[in-house]
Amino acid sequence: MTTDAGQGSGRGEPNPGEHRDEPVAPLQRGQFVAETSRPVPRAALSARAAAGLWALRVFAVLVSLMVIYAFIDQLR
Amino acid sequence: MTLTPPSLPAGDLTPDPPLTEEDAARSRDRARVHHARGHGKRWQLLWLLAGPGILAMLGENDGPSMIAYASDGAQYGLGFFVPLIPVLFALAYVCQEMCMRVGAVTHRGYGGLVLQRYGRTWGWFGAGDLILTNLVTLIAEFVSIRVGLAYFHLGSVVAVTLGLTLVVFSLSGGRYWRWERIVLGLALFNGLFLVAAILVRPHPGAVADSLDFLPFPGGSFSTLLLLLASTVGATVTPWMIFFQQSASADKGMTARDVRHGRYDTAAGAVLAAIFGIGALIAGAALRTHGGPGLQGFAGAGFPEALTHVAGGGAGAVFALGLIEAGAVAILTICASTAYAAGECAGVSRSFNNSPRNAAVFYAANLGVALLAAVVIFIPGAPLLSIVLNANVLATVLLPVSLVFMVMLANDTALMGQWANKRSTNAIGITVIVFVGLCGAAYGIDSFLQAVHLIGP
Repeated sequence: MTTDAGQGSGRGEPNPGEHRDEPVAPLQRGQFVAETSRPVPRAALSARAAAGLWALRVFAVLVSLMVIYAFIDQLR
Repeated sequence: MTLTPPSLPAGDLTPDPPLTEEDAARSRDRARVHHARGHGKRWQLLWLLAGPGILAMLGENDGPSMIAYASDGAQYGLGFFVPLIPVLFALAYVCQEMCMRVGAVTHRGYGGLVLQRYGRTWGWFGAGDLILTNLVTLIAEFVSIRVGLAYFHLGSVVAVTLGLTLVVFSLSGGRYWRWERIVLGLALFNGLFLVAAILVRPHPGAVADSLDFLPFPGGSFSTLLLLLASTVGATVTPWMIFFQQSASADKGMTARDVRHGRYDTAAGAVLAAIFGIGALIAGAALRTHGGPGLQGFAGAGFPEALTHVAGGGAGAVFALGLIEAGAVAILTICASTAYAAGECAGVSRSFNNSPRNAAVFYAANLGVALLAAVVIFIPGAPLLSIVLNANVLATVLLPVSLVFMVMLANDTALMGQWANKRSTNAIGITVIVFVGLCGAAYGIDSFLQAVHLIGP
């Protein structure tokens, strides 16, 4: 996977005037569909981070259900 | 650590990847950016790189949001809300700048990145949240157009036809640039709310006096919670996060464009705050003329009421503003749904691709609009309740999307030197906690009322 994460520009950020009229040149390598179609590696989540995310998800689902219940109650 | 070298060294002989239709279209847009940058054409560069930030912010100044601002003004006057709206948009800027930066640096959309980086479960949860809130919000947008058109004695059929025609028209052409410029042109008419504010001739002193956050809105605790939750939901929502990151990548922005992306996002936030305050001021003109009775989408009466108070011009401009707000939001929200669908399905998701090559993207874009439009025609559908709850539901589900946004923006393997600074994280976490508390407080309060454990 290629990103712009580091310094500077890629091959697609050439000197002014260089390859200006060539359709492919202005794109950085990471912008090509072939590159963006490649999945990024999975991040390793710590147990605490995973637990925190699940807690947040449960919280969001519970509050959403409360809002939806109140919404249905309003309809009555 | 970065996952791969960010750029190829000079003289690198690695062959170019196969060129697709999408690559060719994007490279044409990028060639113009390089030309403007190379020749020092600063204004042209600004013009070329503007778009996703303004569209996200003005798209969020949608029908329910503008009605919410006008309702706030009609019920409580200018105090508290005139300074609150810019503060909320400043918070929205922090969130949206992260989206733009991650999109420009990684060239990938939010939905796909969450799915690949943190797993399918989280990716699909996020997409599920988005589809639910987008569908509810889209219904509200069609209702908003209908409310605006009702002022001109036009009905639901015209509203739905107008909305769907705009979606189809903006999708034709197979270019991101074309889609963006069409929606950008429409979005600038959000300024109609500022015109409406001018037409009601507010007292300049009253606007200046309201800058001290006083008086604090009165009323019951639950009313205040609904007010806060819906006003927060009127400034930041899940679709904005999905949209701006994916649109920045689709536009072809790179790390070198981040500074201009910030200008674009800041311009969007400033314009949205000004136009939002415009709706608030227009609504405040009704405060002593039965305004408090025009709550929510009973706010269908806003244009008519403004006509009685400030003349036909103010009412007509407000009605046109509602049509515009609904139309632009339909286009941007449909786009965010399409990006998420394409990213989660792992297929092409770009306006730079043709419908034949990006069938899922185009089908999701049009399909979600059609689905929302169908609901408008269901006899007895609870449209008023849907509209009132659209912003609140977005507020409740927003913290999860924001947490992943902050995680992506802090991921040094993806972002390298473009990862968040401590100050950005501090503001981002403050926004998450604030939004989470508003949503939770409203959800719990309304639930307890519904089961009669507390009184209204």
